[in-house]
Amino acid sequence: MNPTPFLQLDRVIHEKGRLAIMSMLAASPELAFTEMRDLLNMTDGNLTTHIRTLQEAGYVAIAKSYQNNRPLTTCSLTPAGRKAFADYVNLLEQIVQQTKGK
Amino acid sequence: MQPDRAAEHLEVIRTLMERSAVYRRALAPVMTLAGVLGTAAAAAGWLLHFETPLVFTGFWLCVGFLTAISAFLLIRQQALKQKEDFLTPPTRRIIHALLPSLLVGLILGIVIVAIELKKPASARSIVDAGIDLTWLPLIWIVLYGCALHAAGFFTPRGLRLFGWAFVLGGCTLFIYWALIGFDSVRPQRNGHVLMGLFFGVLHLAYGTYLSVTERKNAA
Repeated sequence: MNPTPFLQLDRVIHEKGRLAIMSMLAASPELAFTEMRDLLNMTDGNLTTHIRTLQEAGYVAIAKSYQNNRPLTTCSLTPAGRKAFADYVNLLEQIVQQTKGK
Repeated sequence: MQPDRAAEHLEVIRTLMERSAVYRRALAPVMTLAGVLGTAAAAAGWLLHFETPLVFTGFWLCVGFLTAISAFLLIRQQALKQKEDFLTPPTRRIIHALLPSLLVGLILGIVIVAIELKKPASARSIVDAGIDLTWLPLIWIVLYGCALHAAGFFTPRGLRLFGWAFVLGGCTLFIYWALIGFDSVRPQRNGHVLMGLFFGVLHLAYGTYLSVTERKNAA
């Protein structure tokens, strides 16, 4: 089996929690922090840590605003994040295809 | 990474992407509006004695149309407020899920109106109302429940259960009426009460529940 796709998997995205965040953001233009927390069943602290890691990698952008006089934090994928996610999914597909081709 | 783990990862990604694409606009105002219109219409129909199949069916078709237009305007207003497109992918999915059952209900109503219109005016009496007015509300209730249940796959919570309430309620009444005999049912009056209970009171109850839980979640 060709080991190249395994080695190319993006370590930042490969972690379970961050992969979940990236997957949700990939399907939506933007998501509120609270919404992601509820959908993913994560604690505030856990989600904040993962988002910070993704933000430092340049994959996620954070916007802060107000809605009905309440602070609203929304997250979205940056173009680099979108590309990294697409590459990650392509690599997973390649890994699956390798066994199908046998 | 093992290939089966990779396949599992892809499946998880797919599920999460679908979950994040569910309909997220507040449902409480739409449900409350439908409840108010349904209750008011049932009270009007009952008080004004809209009892022949033609008037009953035509009246409730108009109420349904008015409710659909009002809900459309309300959702459009929500979208404008949030600076979003009205027809987002989740909204489109919900419309597709609702359409088949609602279309069947609409056609059924139109067919009854067409049949009644063909009859001479003297034949459109309450005496002939039995079959239409006994069956039609129950069929509408069950079809609406099926529509809600299908749409519930693209909304965050509760809507599928709400759909089940209509389906089970309609079926239970159908079985009960079959057991006691359809002849003993007084459809002329029960029709509006049934429509009011299901399309009015149930919507109001669900709307209230949603507005309380949506407010809690926003806090």
